[in-house]
Amino acid sequence: MIVLILAITSVIIIIANSIYAIPSLVAYSRIGSLGGVGYYASQPVPGVPPGLLVRVFLINGSVVEPVRAFIDVYANAPSGIVHVSMGYSQSLVIPFNNTNWRYAIGRWASLGIPFSDYETSMLIFITYMKGNESWILPLVIPYNVGWVIKNSRYIVVDTLINVNELRPNEVVSAMPGITSVNLQLPSNRSDYTTYNCNLNAPKPPPETTFKPEIACLGFNGSLPIAWATWDKDVIKNDSGLSIDLTIDFWGAIRWDAMATGYGDIGTSYSALENVFLGYSVVLSSQVTQSSPEYQVTQPGSLYWYYGGATWAIVNYTVWYVNSTMGTYHLGNVTVFEVLYVPPNDHYIGMVLDYGNGPVSLLYYLASRHYLECPAPSIVDYAAFIYTSTGQEYLYEYNGPVTNISIAYAITLGGLSAVYGLGPAQLGTTLTDLSLGSEGLGMPPPQASLSLTGVSLELFNITTGMNLYVSVINASAIYGLPAFGFILNATNFYGNPTTYTCKYGKVTQIG
Amino acid sequence: MAVRSLLWFYVGFVLVSFASSLWLLLSSVLTVMPIPLPYWFLYTPGNMVAAGIIVVALMLVLYTYLGVVLILNKMNRGFISMVMAFTLIIGIALLLAGLAIPALVILVIAYVMLIGTYAVLISVATTRASKALWGVATIILTLIPPILIGGGLAVIDYVKYMAIIEQATAIIASAIETWKLGVGGG
Repeated sequence: MIVLILAITSVIIIIANSIYAIPSLVAYSRIGSLGGVGYYASQPVPGVPPGLLVRVFLINGSVVEPVRAFIDVYANAPSGIVHVSMGYSQSLVIPFNNTNWRYAIGRWASLGIPFSDYETSMLIFITYMKGNESWILPLVIPYNVGWVIKNSRYIVVDTLINVNELRPNEVVSAMPGITSVNLQLPSNRSDYTTYNCNLNAPKPPPETTFKPEIACLGFNGSLPIAWATWDKDVIKNDSGLSIDLTIDFWGAIRWDAMATGYGDIGTSYSALENVFLGYSVVLSSQVTQSSPEYQVTQPGSLYWYYGGATWAIVNYTVWYVNSTMGTYHLGNVTVFEVLYVPPNDHYIGMVLDYGNGPVSLLYYLASRHYLECPAPSIVDYAAFIYTSTGQEYLYEYNGPVTNISIAYAITLGGLSAVYGLGPAQLGTTLTDLSLGSEGLGMPPPQASLSLTGVSLELFNITTGMNLYVSVINASAIYGLPAFGFILNATNFYGNPTTYTCKYGKVTQIG
Repeated sequence: MAVRSLLWFYVGFVLVSFASSLWLLLSSVLTVMPIPLPYWFLYTPGNMVAAGIIVVALMLVLYTYLGVVLILNKMNRGFISMVMAFTLIIGIALLLAGLAIPALVILVIAYVMLIGTYAVLISVATTRASKALWGVATIILTLIPPILIGGGLAVIDYVKYMAIIEQATAIIASAIETWKLGVGGG
């Protein structure tokens, strides 16, 4: 009889699990080595409202055990970050009806976009302290805004603090504010609004024994997608050169959050995109009567951008305040976040930047190694060189240059599966796809794949020209394969004295 | 023909099923509750795989026991379940060794032997009800591979529900046999 009861109970449980009467795992993704997030579909469990649950585990050797840590949670909103909740515990629960979270969701709702169109994310910082050392884990937890509205899903985050692998911060006794980083931007960037990313939710979080300070800079404006920059020597020496910059984005494009010292920590924003656009300019030393409209006569940049986007450099400073022991600075984490990009191609645009736009800003930040930000890597890509013996050669140093009858083309970017942004690739085989078909026969956007392709086409390369093409890879800043081309007439960008040459191909072209 | 010692196979089958579903219930509910839990108890893919391996290991012990009992009772069909258990272990070992193709071949044999084992269970079942339930389970087991191959991921939900029915019928059939052999046979 007992066996019969056990059997019937087993069957009931199995059926309950399959119809989501009890929590059933519908998706799970690992967050590097920092943990994982599980999404559970379920009827509401009595006494446990649906929402976010963060658990903290300590890994020390082979031991994995729950541990108390500071858990600090922020929600991304379209133009800023809202502090949602904090606690010092082994776990922290934030129901979907949390006032601050609802406030962030309200900001999304005010955009009037269907919720199913995008996913956003929560930022979670775990700070574990032991003795004079602290470990900070930055995590990005993607979620769909619709879940919060519909009060569905349990989102369970398991964070793993591996004290043997993660480098600790030193805990120093200090007063809050003294060592705050001075976030200075050049004052002539009038087309940028810099502001505090910390949106004030209706109810400020209650004072607790520790206080995270946020120094944050938000750029509410253009998010560069791809660009080509030329200097004054190119205008002078290579007059008549025509450049065409083409972008090709389709599928679910994901912008990843980049944390200093931790790299890519996860997706902070994603949107469905379907964009295939190209624009040409002629670089000319003088304006002629018959000059086409798109003739440019001064150094600058041509770039594609998302208008109305928000991206931020967020510096989190964590403090521990204790009435008897004083104030301790636990550490800093810097996160590069794309908070919002308008969906589809509604706000995409092409603009020339003559030293005051986002591309100039990017070079400025790169030159200053802003906040130890991952400096964009610059590759000596290819060069057209006129030799003293009267021949024109094409040197392909670090990637292929495709000759398409009247032009030379460089295509960068790649296909990536939606759940794993592959490393940005140089010189992929997408040339045929992006250049040959010109939109014909292009596969439709798929949920499972995304393509981010950027092409530079160079027309009117004539014998006698000297042109050096450097590629700037800003993927480490934007968390998305983002490339710029830099054209110089005398040497590669930065005047390097030695070149790396991994591709290594030389062709006489004239 | 009733084999008295098969009682313990059926008892074991029900107990292992009950233990695994109890783990499923506790783990899934407690995971979403804000209470301290050991990491191995969380309802995550890694822990589910670990639990699955334990369940499979226990089931293989039971099927081996089934085979031994049948052979001792002069029923050579007992070899079918022993071969199933043996090939499954070999298949998993090959899979872990990274030999995908031989592993697949061996696992296909193991699957066919599993269907055979179910057929054996029909033949030794003592009641019409349990015969029918094992029969349903056997038919589902036989149908799943062609449906999966034909329909691919589009039919995965149907296959999931079929597998649940298969599990449920097998558990209930075992419970009926336990009851019958325990009470009627005693």
